[in-house]
Amino acid sequence: MIEVNDITKKFGRKKVLKGVSFTAEQGEITCIIGINGVGKTTILNAIMNLTPLNEGQILINGETIHKHSYEKITFIPDAIIMQPNMTIAESMQFMADFYDSWNQERATELLDFFKLQEDEKINDLSKGNRAKVNLLLGLALDVDYLLMDEPFSGIDIFSREQIAEVFTSHLVEDRGVIITTHEIGDIEHLIDKVVLLDDGKVLKQFNSEEVREEEGKSVVDVMREVYQP
Amino acid sequence: MNVNFNKRDPVYMQVIRHFKERIATGVFEPGQEIPSRRELAGRLKINPNTAQRAYKEMEEAGLIYTERNLPSRITKDEAILKSVRGELIEEAVDSFVHSIRSIDVPVEEVLELVKEKYKNDGEEVQDD
Amino acid sequence: MNRFVKLVNFELSRFMKVYLTLAALTIIVQVAGVIVKANEYMAKANEAINEDRIPMAQFVEQNGAMSFMDFTRSLWFMGPIAICAAALIFYIFMIWYRDWLGKNTFIYRLLMLPTARLNVYLAKAASIVLMVLGLVSVQLIILPLENSVFKWMVPVDFRSDMTVGQIINWDYLSMIIPQTFTEFILYYGAGFMAVSILFTAILFERSFKWKGIIAGIGYIAISVIIFALPVLSMIFLNREYLYPLEILGLEVALGIVVTAMSIGVGNYLLKKKVTV
Repeated sequence: MIEVNDITKKFGRKKVLKGVSFTAEQGEITCIIGINGVGKTTILNAIMNLTPLNEGQILINGETIHKHSYEKITFIPDAIIMQPNMTIAESMQFMADFYDSWNQERATELLDFFKLQEDEKINDLSKGNRAKVNLLLGLALDVDYLLMDEPFSGIDIFSREQIAEVFTSHLVEDRGVIITTHEIGDIEHLIDKVVLLDDGKVLKQFNSEEVREEEGKSVVDVMREVYQP
Repeated sequence: MNVNFNKRDPVYMQVIRHFKERIATGVFEPGQEIPSRRELAGRLKINPNTAQRAYKEMEEAGLIYTERNLPSRITKDEAILKSVRGELIEEAVDSFVHSIRSIDVPVEEVLELVKEKYKNDGEEVQDD
Repeated sequence: MNRFVKLVNFELSRFMKVYLTLAALTIIVQVAGVIVKANEYMAKANEAINEDRIPMAQFVEQNGAMSFMDFTRSLWFMGPIAICAAALIFYIFMIWYRDWLGKNTFIYRLLMLPTARLNVYLAKAASIVLMVLGLVSVQLIILPLENSVFKWMVPVDFRSDMTVGQIINWDYLSMIIPQTFTEFILYYGAGFMAVSILFTAILFERSFKWKGIIAGIGYIAISVIIFALPVLSMIFLNREYLYPLEILGLEVALGIVVTAMSIGVGNYLLKKKVTV
């Protein structure tokens, strides 16, 4: 379980996170939605210790993050995080060199699944294909938790479909996934848990199937209530 | 297998309904092997947890059964199979009655219309 | 191979193209310089002897025999060294900033490696040191070669020969190429200290942005003051109360303190304060 406990983050005088708390379970897809853009990425950065917090604490399986945690939790930002002059094969080699949890078999499978050419340079790829490489490099790690920042934004519809397919496959099964998005559209059926964020605060968190079952509401219905009271 | 899910009913219930329809129409035969949870999630593009939940509920309701580590199968229990059909028909009639009642039409008139439509519709289907 | 070695390897390889260009530039320009300088001298000598009918001995007496130093003092020799030095000093900054700059922010990957973040810091520092040593080695290897070219182009009567040993003993070359192991440790230790101070200053900036620039400059100032304390105190107190060897010992100790402090603070910033 990832526990985010009352975290606060200031950029200069501006408070982007004002006491955010939520949990994300392994084996579930948790979706952080914020229609106004601010704060979502910061939460993911904070979970990965890529930006310091002003207050609060984040625990991963009961521990604060340390160097070995990066074998068990990984983050896929919305920009590719490899040297752009590397080929796909070279970036895979880089990952294999540094991570014990790198799963070459799965990497090859993903390469196939996304129909990517190993010898292509990252620089020469389309935006959609870059997003896929980014996803590949994260998904091929045998991690318990996977964090993705806006995996569907700014890419073509077919890439989007393909990426959504990943979520329903064994590639994600049994892992805890946290994704951020500003529009729920394509993935409403895919997610287990929703965390609605606005103005640096969690307005509501709920299980999407429960809300359908108990209140007969769609995720968007709840968002409408919360964001436009 | 392609299902258009609506957004306000629990996905697992929609999956169960989808199975019931197929059982009632005979697409799924008694004792037929059904996809694994993982496969189902992939085919219907739903969360594996949801597929899991749907299978669990169907198992409890006796719609499907699993022997040891073998793949799950559609039940062979005649009583259950029959009740699925009955249940679906009843559900459809219920919702029909509900919507027709709101227009306030005499039942005879409705039945006449239904018969006619049903016949024409059926012929059209056969013409295709 | 452990992750530190892999990181050093990675850091070296991503600068390799520029680095090899620098080395090639040095070799080409310096060798060309020897040839040009020797030709200049010999053209002058030929003109004097053949056209002005000045005896050879008299020409050498008036103009001096050509020595290898005439070349090493020229821009042909010093230019490439200056360019290499400038490039490496620039790269002390770029080796960090390139990971943050641009769309593909590689710093995410570096900070998420399953290894102590200090290894990233040390690998970058080690890479800089290795690159400096590499270029110095290139210089050391091509000096005898240049000396041979020089001897081959200028007849023995016109030149005053020097050994490579004499050449590297000269002026600033003796700084780059230390004569003894102790000097090597002292010069390159001081260099490493400077790199670590700059790295930590960069990390201050990366951690606190605008305020970090001030903190970084402050950090450099404090480091320099600590390191220069013995010398400063003597200047201010206007009294030499320490023997040179004692000052040296004190400087070595302070150098180690400042380097350790830089690495420690850098480690803290990378672990707790840095932001992508």
